[in-house]
Amino acid sequence: METLREYWPFLVPLIIAQLTLAITAFVHVIRHPSYRFGNKVFWIPVVLFISIIGPVVYFVFGRGDAE
Amino acid sequence: MNILEIKDLHMSFGSNEVLRGLDMVVPENSVFGFVGKNGAGKTTTMKIILGLLKPDQGTVMVCGEKVTYGSSRTNRHIGFLPDVPEFYSYMRPLEYLHLCGEIAGLSRERIKERSVELLELVGLGDVNRRISWFSRGMKQRLGIAQALITEPRLLICDEPTSALDPIGRRQILDILAALKGRTTVVFSTHILSDVERICDQVAILDGGKLVVSGPISELRRRYRRNSFSVRFSSPEEAARFAALSALQQPTISVIVDGDTLTVASADQNGTGQLLISLFSSEGIVPEKFEVLEPTLESLFEEVVQ
Amino acid sequence: MNHFAVFFKKELKESVKTYKLLLLGIVFLILGIMNPLVAKLTPDLLASFLPEGMSITIPEPSSLDSWAQFFKNIQQMGLIVVLLVFSGVLTNELSRGTLVLLLTKGLPRQTVILAKYAAMLVLWTMSVAISHVVTWVYTVYLFPDNLSQNLFFATFCLWFFGALLLAVLLLGGTLVSSSYGSLLVTGGLVVLLNLLNLFSALKEYNPLALATKNMDVVSGAVAVSELYPQIGITVALILATLGLTVLLFRRKLV
Repeated sequence: METLREYWPFLVPLIIAQLTLAITAFVHVIRHPSYRFGNKVFWIPVVLFISIIGPVVYFVFGRGDAE
Repeated sequence: MNILEIKDLHMSFGSNEVLRGLDMVVPENSVFGFVGKNGAGKTTTMKIILGLLKPDQGTVMVCGEKVTYGSSRTNRHIGFLPDVPEFYSYMRPLEYLHLCGEIAGLSRERIKERSVELLELVGLGDVNRRISWFSRGMKQRLGIAQALITEPRLLICDEPTSALDPIGRRQILDILAALKGRTTVVFSTHILSDVERICDQVAILDGGKLVVSGPISELRRRYRRNSFSVRFSSPEEAARFAALSALQQPTISVIVDGDTLTVASADQNGTGQLLISLFSSEGIVPEKFEVLEPTLESLFEEVVQ
Repeated sequence: MNHFAVFFKKELKESVKTYKLLLLGIVFLILGIMNPLVAKLTPDLLASFLPEGMSITIPEPSSLDSWAQFFKNIQQMGLIVVLLVFSGVLTNELSRGTLVLLLTKGLPRQTVILAKYAAMLVLWTMSVAISHVVTWVYTVYLFPDNLSQNLFFATFCLWFFGALLLAVLLLGGTLVSSSYGSLLVTGGLVVLLNLLNLFSALKEYNPLALATKNMDVVSGAVAVSELYPQIGITVALILATLGLTVLLFRRKLV
């Protein structure tokens, strides 16, 4: 607990940044249900639970042509 | 005046000789149908006209200026619509036309004016969705709008209707027909009914050359087969008429189909008079008697082996 | 110039609309926060893995450790993400055919290449700047020592190396017309540079130094001026790559 309190200036922005990325990707997965590969059931856990890499892989490789 | 003149165009890809001395002339203010089988070289010809391909031999003149490969000078006279136009799908139609106008070097006010006008013309006036949600037909219509933004004297469309359903096709043809008198339209197709619907000039490409070209009305005259269609009141009467000895000549062919006869011969007037005299001598009044006009389809089949 | 401005603007807009800007911004922000944090936590983590009753002396972390993390992360994770994000910047347009309409409207081909490169550089600069500034702020906060020097120059070198890779990425896209292919060409260059490093005669001119000698610059082991030859070579390579790309792209069928 002590450590957590000491590091809040790091953890708060870190968590906000990761959440922003995950949520943006999540919304995109839901709203554009056409992917270069995979399906909704595959991409939702990928973008939500694999931090950073998940959304990056989705936007670079998974996203369909429709923006 | 001729807006497009192609002389002795040769083009081959490897050992595949696509164009073998194509000559083509498109008069100004015509709607010109460029017909050929799939793979006949229509797209290749268009890309050469746009300077996107380098021909092995031959020249292309647009509005009296020579087209050179890799240069876009002559393209200021041309609007181009590829068979499946692709846009930046994150943009909205007005945004895309704005980009096109800026690249073509139009002024800001002119772009605004033109975009609104053109979207209205192609029936996308009230569409403000992202292009990613567009149907094929809508993309094709936006394609026409972007091609016309510079008010080109020549609009070239590559198979504008082939990927569309019947309704979408009709919309595109109506738009192209509406341009008559304002812009010369050249469009390639393998759908002959499209040509019959809106074109006044046609050229048929086969084996890397034009086998037929000219105004449609003149072609109809030139390729008129001397044939007649006669409908009788009953199939029996038709059969009896077909069996008449006067029609059993080597120069006349008679095809019976139910109550209708199709009579073809080498000599048009003589056969027509023969038929009429046979009607009176046999005491028959046919329900219908007509001189058959050649359809573009029969013409196409005749000239393309 | 006008065509350039129009197409450059379109590229920037595309970066926003296709989430490139957001992706790079957040990834490099996260990297920036992680660098000092990892440097600070490493000794504690090491200690907690040691068996009970055993103790070793771990030197107190300093700003040097934080910057070591920065260069390691940007050089690996950062560059990889940037190259992935931009891998389709030219090839997607070629495979989809979106360029044909603009080219037939008089957009010069060299403008396509140069404007795309400029837009990539803008985003790459922004990414490196975010990471650098964030790392700097947290490092000053955690390790208020004066051990690190020439930070700006060291980062600039890494930025330059990235700029070279981005130019090669465009060349790759023009050569092989697929985003995987252009990544492969770029990866091939990095492997080649690593191999060249085995010959000590060439070492002095190898652009790879711009991405590997950064900590030596920060610690003062390598003087700034020692990297000037590599910077010169890299500038020349970037110009040559862009020139070749433009030449090839002019002849390319679209």
